[in-house]
Amino acid sequence: MAEFGGYEMPLWYSSAKTEHVTVLTHAGIFDTSHMAVVTVEGADAFTLLQLCFSRDLTKCIKPISRGSIVPKRCIYGVFLDEKGGVVDDAIVYKGNDEHYMCVVNAGMGEILIQHLSQFSSRMDARVINLTDKVGKMDIQGPMSAKIFEKILKEPEKVYENFPYFSFKGSFYSSPITNNTVILKNGTNILLSRTGYTGEFGFEVFSASSQLVEIWQMVLKAGEEFGIIPCGLAARDSLRTGAMLPLSHQDIGNWPFIRNPWNFALPYNLDYTGFTKEFIGSHAILENKEDDYTYAFVGDDLRKVTVSEESEVMDTENHVIGTVLTCVSDMGIGRIDGRIYSITSPDKPERFNPKGLSCGFIKVNSKLEIGHAVELRDTRRSLKVRVVDSIRPNLTARKRIKQML
Amino acid sequence: MKEISELSLPEDVRYSDDHEWARQEGSLVRGGISDYAQDQLGDIIFVELPGTGETFEKGEECGTIESVKTVSELYMPVGGEITAINENLAEHPELVNNEPYDGGWMIEIRPTDFGEMDSLKGKDAYLKILKG
Repeated sequence: MAEFGGYEMPLWYSSAKTEHVTVLTHAGIFDTSHMAVVTVEGADAFTLLQLCFSRDLTKCIKPISRGSIVPKRCIYGVFLDEKGGVVDDAIVYKGNDEHYMCVVNAGMGEILIQHLSQFSSRMDARVINLTDKVGKMDIQGPMSAKIFEKILKEPEKVYENFPYFSFKGSFYSSPITNNTVILKNGTNILLSRTGYTGEFGFEVFSASSQLVEIWQMVLKAGEEFGIIPCGLAARDSLRTGAMLPLSHQDIGNWPFIRNPWNFALPYNLDYTGFTKEFIGSHAILENKEDDYTYAFVGDDLRKVTVSEESEVMDTENHVIGTVLTCVSDMGIGRIDGRIYSITSPDKPERFNPKGLSCGFIKVNSKLEIGHAVELRDTRRSLKVRVVDSIRPNLTARKRIKQML
Repeated sequence: MKEISELSLPEDVRYSDDHEWARQEGSLVRGGISDYAQDQLGDIIFVELPGTGETFEKGEECGTIESVKTVSELYMPVGGEITAINENLAEHPELVNNEPYDGGWMIEIRPTDFGEMDSLKGKDAYLKILKG
């Protein structure tokens, strides 16, 4: 067990490597009740979020109207301070213009509320911390839909027309959708096509009192499909391989610009500017001196230890930056120069991934994709390359029909 | 992770404070990391061992043990010359997890001073450290 964000959580239940690979090949469940959930409600809910959230809420949510249970959309972005640094990253779930739900990181509920309250004094917008009332778990991996089908009351209706980054159902007393997702034991849940692994699956929200029973139902239903519970170690290696940032480690109190997560910013079509102003937007557009954050992959699975003593060196032995994250993705390997995942449909026969180190670095100059740098800690010096993708063949966006 | 009562603690080895074990085998000493160490580290994915012929002092760092989550040091349980290393660990680092005292052995040493074995702990004293 380890301390994380004020909660005691398991690093692994069985084995970090087995958990990482099992999510890629079968399914895994993660207890993510440590995450914070905050709702923004009122006539000015849209106005407040449009001011503070990095995504342009007028542009990124196209309504879906087909299907007997109509899903709503959710979007990933960041809340910045006036200097352009990250307060936290979040997935914002839109019920309607007067009702949003924001899912942020452990311990960040009150911080987000305080941040938003700086800008909401003349607005009709209430920000409510639901964290302690919410239980959450993630089910991720190719078997997720088959497993969850067994515990849903009306799986065909729920699965029909349920695209990536949309959600159905509600679990709290002021519902965010006008539809329901009910489990066979009668529990109402909010089910979203989101996650933190890059692989196909769902996040499940319920009243906190219901979550243990849901966890047990999912484990039982998933037994025949090889589901296992997964801890923080696998969560970290899976998200890094999927090139997802960890808040307060890969993104933080430095300007949110020149990093692999451009999609979180409201760029216009030719990338010359943003489609809206928001808190922090001027700081990041105007500042030309900031560091660059890049993803990297190593030659083999060996890592450096991330600490104050870990450095990034260029080919002439100058220190050019720091290491933000370094993990071993045990689901990938290199054959003849190409990286395959255990999920790659064209992987060679008998492919047994040896694992590759990967992560993020923050450097003081622009580097091209493919550029080699050296990561150094007190023990080792590793050659790695800057990349624009790590684990290939991510399955998160696949259509549910394909996964049944 | 295992409870202390579930840990394997053979009688025929001696233990260091850094969770290595050492077993006398004739004029040589074989060493590795304890069941407690492998359990705490989790899945071992890479082991870096010294070269045969190299000499280290007791307690000196002589290699690394890498798990999915961390990179840790391997320390010499007693000082001496490395006479052999476990070549199987290159392809099968998981032997350290599955058989920490047998198939997962790491180094074979010709000790400079057998007396250093006495300063290592027997099973009961090591268990005391683990219980804190």
